[in-house]
Amino acid sequence: MSKLQKSAWTNLIAVSMCAIVGGAGFSLLFLLNAKGIDYIFIFFIVGSLTSLGIYMFYRKKSPEAGFDEREKMIYKRALGLAACALTIFLGCVCIIPFFVLGGQNVIKVYYLPLIFLSTLFAAQFVHSMAILIQCSMEEENGQ
Amino acid sequence: MGSDRLSNNIRKLRFENGQMTQQQLADQVGVTRQTIIATEAGKYAPSLPLAFKIAQTFGVPIETVFQYEAEDS
Repeated sequence: MSKLQKSAWTNLIAVSMCAIVGGAGFSLLFLLNAKGIDYIFIFFIVGSLTSLGIYMFYRKKSPEAGFDEREKMIYKRALGLAACALTIFLGCVCIIPFFVLGGQNVIKVYYLPLIFLSTLFAAQFVHSMAILIQCSMEEENGQ
Repeated sequence: MGSDRLSNNIRKLRFENGQMTQQQLADQVGVTRQTIIATEAGKYAPSLPLAFKIAQTFGVPIETVFQYEAEDS
């Protein structure tokens, strides 16, 4: 398994875990009928730590570091697909309720972070899957 | 990518050069074994610098390693 495939699997697992934990967390807050202001301190700490982690990772090396030319091409193609998936998913999630519920209806604020999380998950999922599928397609005759 | 029109003799040349493995060739030209596998199978068309590196590794001209066939021929 190449470095690119390992990073794709790691990304897929990490994003899936984040989606599960994030979804469960927001479900709990929804059940508690929590107001965001009560939890702003927790969100601030989690957000700061996440930002710091991302900054440290990208400062150390770019995501493409260590990839050869074919892997960079696969990575960039997967990024394009992820951008398409993000746009389509976000468009569907935001526009479908308009037609289903009608323009004068309201939705709960609870759905906003869920839309954000699910859009991120969709984009990352498509990115990782695109890498893994492209790698397997090019290597299926390998030995 | 044009891989359907680019054939190569990498496999043959590897065996003619002391049964060189895909990993050994990959290490010498600075790519992953998966890239050599994909190139050998004609599923990936390498860049010019990589193609020249592969040819240099075998000590042959680039046209001995890669052959390009025009679509209308």
